[in-house]
Amino acid sequence: MPVIEVDQLARSYRSGSRFSRGARTEVEAVRGISFEVEPGELFGLLGPNGAGKTTTIKMLITLLLPTGGSARVLGYDVVADPREVRRRIGYVFGGDKGLYERLSGYDNLRYFAELYGVPPREQRQRIAELLDLVGLTGKEGQRVEGYSRGMRQRLHIARGLLHKPDVLFLDEPSIGIDPVGARELRETVAALVSTGTTVLLTTHYMFEDDELCDRIAVIAGGAILAEGTPEQLKSRVADGHVVEIEVFDGVDDRIDAVRAIAGVTSVGVESSDRSQLLVVRTAAAAQVTPAVLAALEGRSLGRVATREPTLEDAYVELVRDA
Amino acid sequence: MTAALRIFFFGGITSYRALFHWLTPWILIPTFIVEPIFQVLFFAFVGRDAGVGDDSFYLIGNAVQFAAIPCLFAMGNTIGNERYTQTLGLLLASPARRLPLFLGRALPVIINGFCVSLVVLVLGALVLRVHIPAEAWVPIVGVLVVTSFSCTGLGLATAALALRVRETAVLSNIIIGILIVFCGVNVPLSALPAWMSTISYVLPLTHGIEAARDLAGGASWSAVTGLVATEALIGVVYAALGMAMLFALEVESRRHASLELA
Ligand SMILES: Nc1ncnc2c1ncn2[C@@H]1O[C@H](COP(=O)(O)OP(=O)(O)OP(=O)(O)O)[C@@H](O)[C@H]1O
Ligand SMILES: [Mg+2]
Repeated sequence: MPVIEVDQLARSYRSGSRFSRGARTEVEAVRGISFEVEPGELFGLLGPNGAGKTTTIKMLITLLLPTGGSARVLGYDVVADPREVRRRIGYVFGGDKGLYERLSGYDNLRYFAELYGVPPREQRQRIAELLDLVGLTGKEGQRVEGYSRGMRQRLHIARGLLHKPDVLFLDEPSIGIDPVGARELRETVAALVSTGTTVLLTTHYMFEDDELCDRIAVIAGGAILAEGTPEQLKSRVADGHVVEIEVFDGVDDRIDAVRAIAGVTSVGVESSDRSQLLVVRTAAAAQVTPAVLAALEGRSLGRVATREPTLEDAYVELVRDA
Repeated sequence: MTAALRIFFFGGITSYRALFHWLTPWILIPTFIVEPIFQVLFFAFVGRDAGVGDDSFYLIGNAVQFAAIPCLFAMGNTIGNERYTQTLGLLLASPARRLPLFLGRALPVIINGFCVSLVVLVLGALVLRVHIPAEAWVPIVGVLVVTSFSCTGLGLATAALALRVRETAVLSNIIIGILIVFCGVNVPLSALPAWMSTISYVLPLTHGIEAARDLAGGASWSAVTGLVATEALIGVVYAALGMAMLFALEVESRRHASLELA
């Protein structure tokens, strides 16, 4: 049985002033999405700002009622059985809010241990384990107001795990964390998944998904545009290779010529101060590269490189076409 | 202890420590000892000069009234500030029972209110040399507890409202103002316009102050039980109203995304 079953799930918001007539508008934040997450999977929801990621998570963790469709977590309906769902899931969001500043890290954890009904005799040991897991041992006695962003985020993770949830929802957990901290966070999440926890993660960071996720759904404008393993997504959008050529004296007038070369699937240009980068997507780099260079005859060229498509290439193409 | 009781006692104290940001000596002593004494002295001297009431009238009115300050502000903070810390979403995403979760926060607040009014009463009695009969002290302490409870009930209702309208301090200040004017703190109820004294009967404080004054004047406990019971009942009604509002807010927020939860 899937751990998370989402069926035609939809949510719209009414916004505008409740006092002024006519000014109310309806925003369809999530428009009938469906997906399933299997036990022990790490599932990524990847999408731009305003895509509907947080709205989806809020419905799954029972903070928000759907306006259409249904969702079940561990077999419990999020509308009919919210308490059963809440008992078994953990929820962590990114950023530095959501903690009691005046309390120590330890007391923050103690409080939530009570709310989740962690038996008093187990609390001390459970908190010690989690402090160790997130690397806050020795800092737990300090007030949270003195914590750095990374420390706060790690405390959040510990909080979300106090009751050993079967499913963990992470909404942009690495926002505002430095690269080393973000890597540690990914390691922690990977370790959790290896012990059987199912994780649903949202992020903007492509490499995070690429590295971590078993499966990804790309969401934009409240709809799922594509779903699959990172490999499937990459091959689906840009199978083959990417050729990048740095050009110093203008490339715009040659784009059509490059596009016309047999074997080229798409052409993009990224401009910087000194140069432009021609990004050519193709099925067969070896054949195409000489033809592209021929088309740029007479221009002063910098770096020429061939690389595998990244998830970001796939993502940009998907979201741009949407 | 069951999980619900632990949330009530332990969780309540933790929330009070976490969210009542007056808990530093720099705020507590001036607000809960110095200022109340000044207020007691001010009204006692004005009263002497105008020849209206005796010192005991003002001392008891103001001492009991000071229970309302922590009861309203601390209760407003411990619930309303969940919004600023952005922890409300985490609370509501937890499986914890809402009744002990929110009611537990009232217990430390009641104790706070009681301690403040008792300290003001004792210090004020010493400074003004007001004599309160020895046998009256125990029942008066009882009245202070009940009055702190009823003011906290009102505080809970205010806090629930504050979660909706967002500004707990403004709301609490307005209510304190209403209580001071309406509840017979410094003006006998008989001196108020009729409509005001009518309102005063559904506010906390009014019956408690009257009971404490009667006791200090030599009345027996059995003579004031009606007043004390009414005071307690008013507290229960406001607390129930507050809890109902909190439940309704949670339902509404899930439906209309009316509380920003994360
Ligand atoms: N409480 C609300 N009231 C009205 N509209 C809302 C509310 N919350 C979200 N929206 C709208 O719903 C849409 C989806 O928002 P959501 O927060 O789910 O996006 P997101 O994918 O999490 O974005 P981000 O990456 O910026 O966090 C947006 O257009 C947003 O403006
Ligand atoms: Mg979001």
